[in-house]
Amino acid sequence: MKPSAPNLPMRQRLRQGRDRLATALITAGGIGVIAAVMGIAVFLVVEVMPLFWPAQSPGVGLETLWLPQDLAGLEAPAYRWQPTLGDDGGPLFSLTPLAWGTLEAAAWSLVIAVPLALGAAAHSALFMPRRLRARLRPTLELMEALPGVVIGFVAGLVLAPWLERHLGLALALLLLLPPGLLLAGGLWRQLPARLQQRLPLGWAALWLMPWLVMTWLLAHWLGPRLESLWFGGDLRSWLEITLGLDYANRNAVIVGMAMGFAVVPSIYALAEDALSGVPRSLAEGAQALGATRWQTLWRVMLPAASPGVLSAVMIGAGRAVGETMIVLMASGNTALMTANPLDGLRSLAASIAIELPEAAPGGTHYRLLLLAALLLFAFTFLVNTLAEVVRTRLRRRYRRLGGPS
Amino acid sequence: MTRVHRSPFWAALLILAVLFAGPAAAKHRSGTLDTVGSDTMAGLMLRWGERLARQHPGMRVQLQASGSASAPPALTAGTTLLGPMSRPMTEAEHQAFVDRYGYPPREVVVARDALVVVVHRHNPLPSLSRPQLDAIFSETYRCGAAGGIVRWASLGLERPAGRIVLHGRNAVSGTHGLFRREALCGGRFRPSVSEHPGSAAVVAAVAEDPQAIGYAGLNHLTPSVRPVPLRDAEGVRRAPVPAAVRRGDYPLARDLRLYVNLPPGESLPAAERAFIELVLSAEGQAIVEELGFVSLPEAVLSRQRRQLGFEPR
Repeated sequence: MKPSAPNLPMRQRLRQGRDRLATALITAGGIGVIAAVMGIAVFLVVEVMPLFWPAQSPGVGLETLWLPQDLAGLEAPAYRWQPTLGDDGGPLFSLTPLAWGTLEAAAWSLVIAVPLALGAAAHSALFMPRRLRARLRPTLELMEALPGVVIGFVAGLVLAPWLERHLGLALALLLLLPPGLLLAGGLWRQLPARLQQRLPLGWAALWLMPWLVMTWLLAHWLGPRLESLWFGGDLRSWLEITLGLDYANRNAVIVGMAMGFAVVPSIYALAEDALSGVPRSLAEGAQALGATRWQTLWRVMLPAASPGVLSAVMIGAGRAVGETMIVLMASGNTALMTANPLDGLRSLAASIAIELPEAAPGGTHYRLLLLAALLLFAFTFLVNTLAEVVRTRLRRRYRRLGGPS
Repeated sequence: MTRVHRSPFWAALLILAVLFAGPAAAKHRSGTLDTVGSDTMAGLMLRWGERLARQHPGMRVQLQASGSASAPPALTAGTTLLGPMSRPMTEAEHQAFVDRYGYPPREVVVARDALVVVVHRHNPLPSLSRPQLDAIFSETYRCGAAGGIVRWASLGLERPAGRIVLHGRNAVSGTHGLFRREALCGGRFRPSVSEHPGSAAVVAAVAEDPQAIGYAGLNHLTPSVRPVPLRDAEGVRRAPVPAAVRRGDYPLARDLRLYVNLPPGESLPAAERAFIELVLSAEGQAIVEELGFVSLPEAVLSRQRRQLGFEPR
């Protein structure tokens, strides 16, 4: 039926009108969103431009922003972010330690989040019964709904002091957990088949629970003993004296744990989509040829879904780079340039949150913070776009392999 | 009837109105007092405002607490007659006001505040001199130290072992600026000083860590940390107790001020007058103590009352 047919029944015309209205609204919304994003980018660029006119902001240039500077009282050139030095000497604006801190925080959060999220995604896409999987998803989404402030608060005020007091325990856990889990898997295989069948494969995680509790208790017993045996009773001093590593109470690893927690759900969701989207025929074919589940996962599913998994990790990285409150509250905000994961850091986003409200609009400090915002914007925009491109190509590949979704 | 407007015409009209209304409203004044300035003093201004409203129903004090730096522009533009500040005006701010009005702003000291250097409650550190403090927190050593102090052992302590872990306020806060000016002699902080969004957060962080040291506003002191006495230029130990701060003996103290736009020879409009009278009274100073700041000695109070014409000279 043509939309302009003269004597359509009233109801149909009404419905058509409604459809058209909805389409118009959605289009307008879409255009609005794009315009807003472009508008933000244009605003940032316009506000940042004057930084690079020498007359407008003396002492600011690519060298001072990114290269180490000679400073009074220091032997070697160094990077310093001290935006309110004031009276004499002038402020020091080096964006390098902030960019470094941002990347360091993101890297540690990925180190912690990627194995967890991908492991969970692989397990739930391949081994879990559909019903359990349907439960797991909302739970992880709930994790994502947790505000960053809350995670940061818990990390900074609960996790950081706890870890500081229990460094020995943490070390023991780090040593015991991987072999403990492997042992649990090995023992499971040794169990009589009758017992194995009573716990369906999807629920195998239950078998791990007592193991985890036991590992924890063992670590509790072992931690202090290890500390006194190997490290003279104080791991923190040992680290400092023997390895020259400072232990800051709020450090990159704490930030990584907290932000890893926040990033897990996004990586999990996308990776699980990619894995469960692999056409079933592939997995079934592999198993029909005699491949074990593990071989199917490792040789067939993961390679097939790898672009999707990669884009999941990239989305996670984008989120970690832009995340503000967790880094702000869990990092100590020290603008340092060290590779020591036990030292503090300061990220671009946290600097913006702390300093922008107090920076005089139009001043050099203000424009530099907007430059930081522009950098973050460009980075996340790039990463997200790239991830989206990869995902689109993956979808096309699945369609080629047969299988609808 | 004391809302302050921008244009001189309205200001003149209002002053007239206040003058006429003055005698009749001596008992119950009403109106809104707009103030712009320090966030450190926000609590004080709020409590003084409440007390004023209780004494004079219908009178309200509004505070836009966006930081000390916001007071001078507002005073100069004439949007407010009262500007609370936790630091003295800079030369430039002062000059801008004089250029506009031809007379300097009147400065009223209303309370005293101090910065305390805090360590973990089990830390036995007996005291610190200014050069030591500088050597701990800065990397420029402008106060005369020979080199940096990064370990507790360098301060002659066996316990706590290891490095000194530094905590402080974020770079845009007045506390940070004051500490840098007074304790670092204007030098540069080490980049390893953790920057916290508030004094309470600094205190909480120091309370957790036996190796930590930090600085915070006196009113944020809790039993979970120990304030370290500071040695003054003569080497006398000065603990940050209210009496020492009041006398001006404690090295890291500052005055909290109200800047008032008051032409010489004129008296204050009624609402402003009522407010400052309250602030400089025993009642107002009791509120200062309640909030953890340090009240002023009676001599300073009565001298300021005389200067403002509240008391016969």
